Amino acid sequence: MLKIFQRLWQVNWAEQWQYRANLIMYLLYWLVSPIIYLAVWTSIAATKGDVNGFTANDFITYYMTLLIVDQITSNIVIHTFAYKIQDGTLSGELIRPIHPMLTNALVNNIAFKGLTIMGLVPIWIILFFLFKPDFGNLALSGILLAIPAMIVGFFIGFLLSAAITALAFWTTRIYSLYEFYYALHLLFSGQFVPLTLMPKLIQDIAQYLPFQLLIYFPIQLILGKLSSAQIVQGYVTAGVWLLISIAFFKWVWREGVKRYSAVGA
Amino acid sequence: MHTLKLLSSFLKVNIQMSLAYRADTVVNILLNVMWLGWELLTLSIIFSNTETIGGWGFGELIALLGVFRLVNTLMIALIWPNTEKFNQSIRDGSMDYTLLQPINSMFLVTFSRITVWRIWDLVLAIVLIVIGVGMSGDTTTPLSILTFLLLTVSGAIVIYSLWIVLIALTFWFTKFDNNVTILQALLDAGRYPVTVYPVWLRIIVTFVIPIAVATTVPLQGLRGELGIGRVLMFIGISIVSFLVASQVWKAGLKRYSGASS
Repeated sequence: MLKIFQRLWQVNWAEQWQYRANLIMYLLYWLVSPIIYLAVWTSIAATKGDVNGFTANDFITYYMTLLIVDQITSNIVIHTFAYKIQDGTLSGELIRPIHPMLTNALVNNIAFKGLTIMGLVPIWIILFFLFKPDFGNLALSGILLAIPAMIVGFFIGFLLSAAITALAFWTTRIYSLYEFYYALHLLFSGQFVPLTLMPKLIQDIAQYLPFQLLIYFPIQLILGKLSSAQIVQGYVTAGVWLLISIAFFKWVWREGVKRYSAVGA
Repeated sequence: MHTLKLLSSFLKVNIQMSLAYRADTVVNILLNVMWLGWELLTLSIIFSNTETIGGWGFGELIALLGVFRLVNTLMIALIWPNTEKFNQSIRDGSMDYTLLQPINSMFLVTFSRITVWRIWDLVLAIVLIVIGVGMSGDTTTPLSILTFLLLTVSGAIVIYSLWIVLIALTFWFTKFDNNVTILQALLDAGRYPVTVYPVWLRIIVTFVIPIAVATTVPLQGLRGELGIGRVLMFIGISIVSFLVASQVWKAGLKRYSGASS
């Protein structure tokens, strides 16, 4: 099995490397909105002193951390997989003895991630000098606690997106569905603003949903903003959602493949 | 007259094409309303924490959202679908047929695809502008409204000219089919007044990829913040950028030699 993953990694890395110009464009595209939110909130905090206890520096460190966390936990599976179901290229992968989504697509996503992070590092350093964040009370323990949280967060996000992608077995409007899912992500993940500044109702709902596990929870872990009770609660929620997303994906995939009859069959 | 006739027949063809996908149109409009809700929510969250950003109030940001949506509609209804078609025509050589038509090729490349349902978005944008200006309590005069309209059109022309230059670069660098992403990427910066951005970002969105010229500037005109000299300057810039873009386009066409040769 390890050998298979190794081989898949080589193939997918080479494939993604070939598209490195596209990748830089994607990275630029993706960078802009966090930087804009950063600018908006720091300008508000600078004129008012603070926003509900958040100083300008708090906002800068939040979004600078978000750039890294989001890059680690996000995935592009809808863009690399949905078309295979729609145009029938999936048939070739289905007859192989390995799971198309959980091996090839997964490794492809991780290869993509590896390359974008390589591109992000120099940009992040430039932004560091432009915004001059003060990560004064950053602790190693926070970073170590955040690593497993980010890995679990990535798998939850990947499995949920994979399940939505697999809905392409039923419907052609898969990108519209995904747009709706992405809007929920924006609303409940802490992407726009630290969740504590969202309306109370949204915060209350957000803590039971998976989206904050991808953004808000790891950022707060890294920045050392959580009490040990909150950390335990976060990890328990992450564990529950991991189980839910595994079950959900497996069910959608099984039913979907049953329905699948490729184009031309 | 000839041009108008052509435009209306382009529109007719595009309406026919989109009628084949009626359910998609409904879904798209619903999603559009959802995003409007999200945009209004983000603004209300911002303004529950402050009274002004960059010197502008809630009403003014609603109006800015309207102007932003106008530019965004230009991008999605015209620029994206035509870019896609253009890039395709360079790759497979069907650009030949465009050039053989007895009409200005830049015109053909601009208007042959139109995402029709987006016209709804134009109406929405105008409603947002009217409501926003009403809420802001800024006094508007016929002159300031005229200034606003002129600056909106000239801002759109600047963006359009930049687009023509970007796609014309494909004549020199055939593999440059990411040409418009950079424009789309920075577009989001148009949602807020540029005065909130740090200087380096302000320079990028004003001079390099001039999104601000099409979003912040028209509203500044409406609020009477720009003197007559500045207004004339922006109109001048739009005329110059259009002339430069058409020259670049012509120079690019000379480089074009079909896909197989």
